[in-house]
Amino acid sequence: MEAAAAKLIGAGLAMIGAIGAGAGIGIVTGGAVQAMARNPEMTGTIQTNMILGIAFAEAVAIYCLVVSLLILFVF
Amino acid sequence: MSENVQGGWRFGTARWIVLAAIILGLFLFTGFFGVGLGIKPIMPEVFLPGEKLSEEPLFIIPFVGPFYYTNTMTGLLLADLVVLLIAFGVSRAVKSGKMALSGMSGAVEALLEALYGITEGTAGKWTKPIFSWFAAITLLVLASNWLGLIPGAETIGLIHEGHGDYAVKDLFSIGSLKVQTIWDETDAAHEGEVAAEGEHHGAAVIPFHRPVSTDLNFTFALAIVAVVMIQVFGFRSQGMAYLTKFWNTKTLFSKPIFGVIDFGVGLLELVSEFSKILSFAFRLFGNMFAGAVLLFVIGSLVPVFAQSMFYLLEFFVGLIQAVVFGMLTMVFMSQATQGHGEQHDEAH
Repeated sequence: MEAAAAKLIGAGLAMIGAIGAGAGIGIVTGGAVQAMARNPEMTGTIQTNMILGIAFAEAVAIYCLVVSLLILFVF
Repeated sequence: MSENVQGGWRFGTARWIVLAAIILGLFLFTGFFGVGLGIKPIMPEVFLPGEKLSEEPLFIIPFVGPFYYTNTMTGLLLADLVVLLIAFGVSRAVKSGKMALSGMSGAVEALLEALYGITEGTAGKWTKPIFSWFAAITLLVLASNWLGLIPGAETIGLIHEGHGDYAVKDLFSIGSLKVQTIWDETDAAHEGEVAAEGEHHGAAVIPFHRPVSTDLNFTFALAIVAVVMIQVFGFRSQGMAYLTKFWNTKTLFSKPIFGVIDFGVGLLELVSEFSKILSFAFRLFGNMFAGAVLLFVIGSLVPVFAQSMFYLLEFFVGLIQAVVFGMLTMVFMSQATQGHGEQHDEAH
């Protein structure tokens, strides 16, 4: 196999990790929306914590993205 | 936050400008019935590190190495300039004695008030020192993210031969300054124009300005500053007792099994401080660099309409990432000030 082709396949495979982040963000947001529906007065606090949780879950996908960008543009 | 200047502008005027821009885009990029120029959109060469604008280094730092002027440094200087202008503008507006600020300073006031509210809910009595870090980081990252969305930001620059796979074409010249563009040769050959001037080596544009958050050096520097300041806040609030968070021998001998677990958790806390730097740096860099590449790719696939949708997306991503960077710093700082035993604090 040519090196260029292997690079493209590797970059694609690296992004598989985004599955976990997607599921995580969905769970976080779902829980937050349920909590806001039950207790609308707490919306501000819940939103802050939700954004934090999303940022943590998303960081994993960003690691995958950085790895695949490195494969594509650096190596 | 994005205040429209409502002065003499009405919705009607803006609508005609948008329509004119759409027609201009269609004219430039399509070639129906001989109308339009039929320019093929170009996929720019993507460089991960900031591109050097000059071959020789500006100066050489002893023991470190040569120092080049890169295009992300233009982004940093511009972002600094914007933040300073905002600071001076707002301070002048505040000193003018008006009750309600208007225009740009009113928008900044609204943003800072929202940030202050969030900080107050989390940080308690440490609100004031922590808020200044939160606001400074958010404003700087926001300025740098949004500066990358200005048209021309990543398209105007020096032509560098020997990198890409497009031909160089002369447009016009002002005095001795030649204005050139890179040009998709295959399209020109298809149109029957003579553009191939024996240039088989390609060329690529190295832009003058690239948003600084697409440079890993900047995001790492900001992350290190943030994490170091988190430790500083920990020491300021708890003194040397802050170190027991990492080297926890308080319960090691009194409670044999749980003491060992507590000790291990302390060591993990130490590791997590370092992983904070990594995740801070890669989150901002990954989001902004991927956003820039996304705009390039969409622009090279669909020349006219599609990119504007992604500009809107990038507008929000830039805002959200700036707020997330600042907010995480704020939350970690207030956690560091609260320490292990909140009950311990309340007993005093």
